[in-house]
Amino acid sequence: MNASRARMIWSVVTWTIVLAVVFPLIWMIVTSVKPQSELFSIPPTLMPETITFEHYRRLLTDTPFLQYFRNSMILAVTTTVVVVVLGTLGAYSLVRFKYRGRETLATLVLFTYLMPSVVLVIPLYLMMAKLGLANTLASLVIAYTTFALPYALWLLRSFMSSIPVDLESAALVDGAGRMGAFVDVVLPQALPGIVSTALFTFILCWNEYLFALVLVNSDSVRPLTAGTMNMLITSFNIDWSLLMAASVMMSLPLIVIFTFLQGTLTKGFGAGAVKG
Amino acid sequence: MHSDPPPSLEKRYARIGVVLIAPTVLVFCAVILYPLISAIYLSLFSIYTPTLAGEWVGVDNYTALLASGDFWNAALNTLIWTVGTLMLQLVFGVAMALLLNQSIVFQSLARSLVLFPYFLSTVVAVLVWRWLFNDLYGILNHVLLIAGLIDAPVNWLGQMPNAMISIILVGAWKYFPFVVIVVLARLQSIPEQLYEAATIDGAGPFQRFTDITLPQLRDVLVVVVLLRAIWDFKEFDLIYLMTGGGPVRATQTLSLLVYEEAFRLNRMGMASTYAVAMMLVLLGFTLVYLRQTNRLEEG
Repeated sequence: MNASRARMIWSVVTWTIVLAVVFPLIWMIVTSVKPQSELFSIPPTLMPETITFEHYRRLLTDTPFLQYFRNSMILAVTTTVVVVVLGTLGAYSLVRFKYRGRETLATLVLFTYLMPSVVLVIPLYLMMAKLGLANTLASLVIAYTTFALPYALWLLRSFMSSIPVDLESAALVDGAGRMGAFVDVVLPQALPGIVSTALFTFILCWNEYLFALVLVNSDSVRPLTAGTMNMLITSFNIDWSLLMAASVMMSLPLIVIFTFLQGTLTKGFGAGAVKG
Repeated sequence: MHSDPPPSLEKRYARIGVVLIAPTVLVFCAVILYPLISAIYLSLFSIYTPTLAGEWVGVDNYTALLASGDFWNAALNTLIWTVGTLMLQLVFGVAMALLLNQSIVFQSLARSLVLFPYFLSTVVAVLVWRWLFNDLYGILNHVLLIAGLIDAPVNWLGQMPNAMISIILVGAWKYFPFVVIVVLARLQSIPEQLYEAATIDGAGPFQRFTDITLPQLRDVLVVVVLLRAIWDFKEFDLIYLMTGGGPVRATQTLSLLVYEEAFRLNRMGMASTYAVAMMLVLLGFTLVYLRQTNRLEEG
């Protein structure tokens, strides 16, 4: 009797707090479907009296939103592919091989993972100007690599070190070459970890703002984060419904990924804090 | 891993290992190490951003830094922001993790929902909160007015100390889920027998918390605090987009100072000097973090 009573109380308390935490996000969705006339009513209506998708239509047709979306997609996917390929090979090497400087390298990876982007943004800005890459998507891919590579490497290393070596050893005893064993035995086992790492890296790139702010300045290459903020800054009257619609749209890919990642959230987000 | 492979094989394996890591190391040197070193080098110059024309000034930037009011102002703001938001993240995160560790209805849904703020773009978080904070039409002022907690709409972002409090609160909201994730994972690995034994010995809920839960969480909390301190210390997006460092310079942290110096005031050399100073502080943090994690791995 007491157990179910306690469960009830804990449930009510916890869910009240959970709803308070996600309220800003509920409010974002509510605002994005409210008609303009209702937006500035005092007091604000908690549930919209009429639901409209007018703001979404305007977002997609009257603003460069789709262009930004495309840019973000290209950027995040390209960076993720580059980083995950490099990281998988690198992490395998760090976990399974013995050579001089390996420990130092692992430490260096962690150090750069914790390095602030503002330190790198100035030399990178100069570097892009010198290479003739200023204001291109390529410059952002390079810049994103600076945080995505250490992150992916760190994460993959912890995923890989939890793969048992027995099967690999067995394959080697059976006469497989080191690379053969890697492709046939290690990769299939590491695949879930690699996929999770790819998704986390994608999120990181999708959400990046500072490099996008500094390194590009035209709508044709601007990703979503910088583009949407630009819509806020350049507008004469701030159109909150439109911005909330943009926020919802910007978050959609993340919500899709989120549902895939349920199982490995701790490892990905806790990277560095939780031992692999 | 293998029972004594012949030395030649071991050598060959080492070579494969080096080949596998080589592309990563190359990219590392090109996009991270080289820029890091040039940041240090640039800090010895005076550079005008639009033309990139530079002039060697030696350590002048560093003496200017030590005498600069802006730098110490930003350092103090960074300290206030970091300590303030970190404390809230920690208290709120641990409390939330304890709640979510209870048996409640729709437990896994609750656990997922709480993580959302962490995982959305800072840009989205800032847009949503600026709309909530809006002085005329924001729902926050309405709710507080109706509840009778305030008499007139509050200017959340445009005056002090409100602006600092606001960014600390939004920072706590955005980043506390990290603490929840890590602490919840640790809570689930505490053996149930410990609690059972304590209950038999007559320990109440509070005593079980202080005698079992807290000591068990200690190590993981130290790591969480260090990591979050590093990340909060270098935060740029959230503060820049919430207040832009304002009003005037009241919420300008070191990251914002570097940005302003380099891309608003067009003094890249000086900006690099500030950046190097930040790097040194973070280096200290990282060393402590490394010592801590190494200690945990050994212990």
